[in-house]
Amino acid sequence: MLEVRNLCGGYGGGNVLHGIDLTLAAGQTLALLGPNGAGKSTLMAALTGTLDKRSGSMRFDGREMGEAASHDIVAHGLALVPEGRHMFAPFSVEDNLRLGAIRLHHPTNARLQAQFDGVYRLFPRLAERRNQATGTLSGGEQQMVAIGRALMSAPRLLLLDEPFLGLAPKVVEEIHDALERLRGAGLTMLLVEQKLDIALRFAAQACVMVKGRIMLNESSRALAERADLDQLYFQLARAVDMS
Amino acid sequence: MQDLIELAISATAGGCIYALLALAYLVVLRPTGIINFAVGDWATVAAFAGYLGLSRYELPWAAGMPLVIVLAALLGWVTERIAVRPLVERGAPVLAPILALLGMLVVFRESVSLIFGPDPLPVPQPLGYGRIEWGLIAGSYQSFFIMGVTALLFCGTWYFFERTLAGRSFEAVALDRKAAALMGINLRRVTACAFAAGGAIAGLAALLLTPNTSAHYLMGIPLAIQGFTALVIGGVGRIEGALAGGLILSFAEQLTVRYAPIPAGLAQGVPLVLLIGFLLVRPQGLLLARGSSR
Ligand SMILES: Nc1ncnc2c1ncn2[C@@H]1O[C@H](COP(=O)(O)OP(=O)(O)OP(=O)(O)O)[C@@H](O)[C@H]1O
Ligand SMILES: [Mg+2]
Repeated sequence: MLEVRNLCGGYGGGNVLHGIDLTLAAGQTLALLGPNGAGKSTLMAALTGTLDKRSGSMRFDGREMGEAASHDIVAHGLALVPEGRHMFAPFSVEDNLRLGAIRLHHPTNARLQAQFDGVYRLFPRLAERRNQATGTLSGGEQQMVAIGRALMSAPRLLLLDEPFLGLAPKVVEEIHDALERLRGAGLTMLLVEQKLDIALRFAAQACVMVKGRIMLNESSRALAERADLDQLYFQLARAVDMS
Repeated sequence: MQDLIELAISATAGGCIYALLALAYLVVLRPTGIINFAVGDWATVAAFAGYLGLSRYELPWAAGMPLVIVLAALLGWVTERIAVRPLVERGAPVLAPILALLGMLVVFRESVSLIFGPDPLPVPQPLGYGRIEWGLIAGSYQSFFIMGVTALLFCGTWYFFERTLAGRSFEAVALDRKAAALMGINLRRVTACAFAAGGAIAGLAALLLTPNTSAHYLMGIPLAIQGFTALVIGGVGRIEGALAGGLILSFAEQLTVRYAPIPAGLAQGVPLVLLIGFLLVRPQGLLLARGSSR
């Protein structure tokens, strides 16, 4: 479904991404791990066409999108739940969700309603607060809006950038459950995480990014069984420095 | 008393013009972050288009007004293509298009003076000369025309931003560019539309103003300053701010001219004094954007 080859990019200055290769099959869930500043969020920006500078190839569902604009990428079925939620804070939950559907194909009222219903079924709490300004919601509820908003465009691939960051354990469970349900429905997902435990529990396959490079790509089980798991990031960083 | 009410009506009409100019700044500033001083010279070009259409070729207002506004929108759109998009696409800082637009101001002014010469040219009154006298309430037709059109435009703009999906997506770009792009909002198109809308509104302001003042090639800079002052007074957050700012500025000007013991020429400094005062004391303006906590 997604095939990334030799993707480079950054922010005006030097490159942050140094030749990323990544494949994701339809229905797969992949975890992208890595320490602070590894370039995970930068990779998400590159995949969604919101990075200042990028080069390389990205095939998504049979179409080359390495140079596509962000709105074409969304229209083609790839959506991102960005790090830090990025609410339109003064807007209501419903308006935030509606904006998520701005690239929905054939947005008839019935189709829109079905999208809304889907999100409210996944997060019933949002239905109760549909007219509340999202800036006044709790962090967990905002994260639900962020996920719901991305789902409104009916994506075939959903990217999630640290959706559990700063949330109470109970809310983490709630959102984890929702993601499990989406997985059950066959949605392909890429989950960015720093914390190994959540990521390895959720995704079957995991890759580790360090200093703008993918240094490791193996099954979550194999990764979880590594004896040097605690020092994984550190060792991979050393490996990058030496090469 | 009669006197004061008449003053209030003419000040309100003048304030409406400033409010429209402030709104022309605002619709560009919100989604793009660009302070667009070319607003003043869009108004100048539209004023001369108004002279051509309405005076020289004697089109009726009902035809000439939409024509000039469409032209002004086109002018805004072209300005963005020439002076803004090439810079933004090269990743220039936001100051670069602001300076480029200041440069466009000179281009517009000099082109207008070359084509039309330095003398003021008349634009006819849409409703003819005449006065409404309604008990204590009295003023020229033009004053009431200005107020009516401005009220309609502000209502329309409010409806657009609050109640339509396109308006919401404009606001979304203003609130969070990155998130707006992730929704699939086409940022380039929003920028182009913002400039076209700014041009149209500036053009409308010019058309409402010039029946009283005539079209003149130097009219742009004072309008740019007055509109900007109204914007700063009202705050850059909301459209109501532009309206409030325009009215406050106009009342301050007219009351100074009328009652302050200074020569009339000095009263032209009122917007500058207000501008500096607000920038020093309350740079965020009177009305805050919704969602900001200060
Ligand atoms: N807007 C930006 N402008 C310039 N440099 C940036 C920008 N955003 C990130 N960077 C730099 O790019 C590098 C990668 O950052 P990125 O946010 O992609 O890391 P990350 O892996 O997502 O980290 P975290 O886990 O903390 O979110 C860092 O060195 C960072 O300083
Ligand atoms: Mg990150």
